[in-house]
Amino acid sequence: MPDNLPGPIARRNEGTGQAGEIMVGASRTLLLKDGGKIGRALSEFLVCPLSKQPLRRCQDSQSLISDAIGVSFPIIDGIPCLVPKDGKLLEDQDVSKIENGADPSVVHGER
Amino acid sequence: MASAAPPPISSSLWRCPRGRVRCSAEHQGLFSRIAPVYDKLNDVLSLGQHLIWKRMSVSWTGAKRRDRVLDLCCGSGDLAFLLSQKVGPDGEVSAVDFSKDQLLIATARQDLYWKACYKNIKWIEGDALDLPFADSYFDAITVGYGLRNVLDKQKAMKEIFRILKPGSRVSMLDFNKSSSSLITQSQEWMIDNVVVPIASNYGLSKEYRYLKASIAEYLTGKELEKLAKEVGFSEAKHYEIAGGLMGNLVASR
Repeated sequence: MPDNLPGPIARRNEGTGQAGEIMVGASRTLLLKDGGKIGRALSEFLVCPLSKQPLRRCQDSQSLISDAIGVSFPIIDGIPCLVPKDGKLLEDQDVSKIENGADPSVVHGER
Repeated sequence: MASAAPPPISSSLWRCPRGRVRCSAEHQGLFSRIAPVYDKLNDVLSLGQHLIWKRMSVSWTGAKRRDRVLDLCCGSGDLAFLLSQKVGPDGEVSAVDFSKDQLLIATARQDLYWKACYKNIKWIEGDALDLPFADSYFDAITVGYGLRNVLDKQKAMKEIFRILKPGSRVSMLDFNKSSSSLITQSQEWMIDNVVVPIASNYGLSKEYRYLKASIAEYLTGKELEKLAKEVGFSEAKHYEIAGGLMGNLVASR
C-alpha cells in the first residue's frame, strides 16, 4: 500500500473545483447518514473522560451519556466531543426541557 | 479567526518563567486559528521533511497489522493516516485532539484522499489530561508536536501510561530542546528569519512566534526520559533527529 499522506486541503479561493467539493460533501453525508452505527461503535470503546466508566449512546440525541457522573457529551458532525467542558449535566438538560413545556414523565423516561 | 473557547472545567493556569499566564483555552484558540494552513506551512517550513520524521516516529512505536493504536494531539491527522496504513483495515486508530477545527480538517482530508484503510480511523475531540479510554487499551501511541503544548506534562504522561498495554510503546516527536547552544541558536535563527516571515504571509506571525518561547520552556531529552520513568515507564530513550533540531522520545510500559 502506498505510504504517502493526504495532501493539505486547498483553501476556498484556490479551489479544488466543484467536483472536489461535491465529493467531500457526499462522503461526509454518507458518513453522517451512518450516524446510528457511528454512535454504537463509539460507545463500545470510549469511556467517560472523568470517571473512566462506560458510556452509552442516547437513543434520541446524538450524544454519549456517562451515567456514572450524570453528564452527556455531544456527537457533532460524527465527532464525539469528550473534552470535560463539553459535558452537560443531565439534570440541567431535564430542567430546561420541562421549562420549555415538555412532559416531566417523558423527559425523565428518556434517560 | 476562531474565537477562544471559555475556560474549560479542568484547565489549570500556568505561569511560565517569563511571567506570562497561559491556559489551555489560549492554546486551543491558537491551534484553531492556524488550522486552515497548518499542513501547507508544515510542508513549506520543513521542506517536506516532517513526513520523514513522522514515518520514523510511527516505526518506533512497533505498530503492526491489526493493532489498536492512538494518535494523541492528532491535529490534522498526519500520524493518524500513517498509523492507519500500518495497522490496516482490521486495526483500529483513535485520533484525539482538543481543536475541533483541526479535526474537521482531518476529516476533510480523510474524505478527499480516501483510502479503504482510512475507515479504521475514529476522530475524537478530547483532552490529553483526561483521556476517554479504558486502562491498558492501546498497542501503540504516537504524539506529534503535542506534549510541548500540554500544560500539565506529567498528568498527560500518566494518562498515556494508563491507557497503554503492558509491553507497548509511546513515540513522541517534537522539537528538540537542546543543551547545545549551537542547535538552540540555529532553531531560534530559523524561527525568527524563516518561520515567522513565512507565517506572516498567512497572517499568522504572532501564532508562530510563540514557537521560540515554547521550545525554550519545553523539556530536554534527558528531562523527558526522567519524566517518563517517574510515571512508571520501564524504558525511555530520547533520539535526536534532523541534525538535533527535532527529537523523538520512545518509552515502553
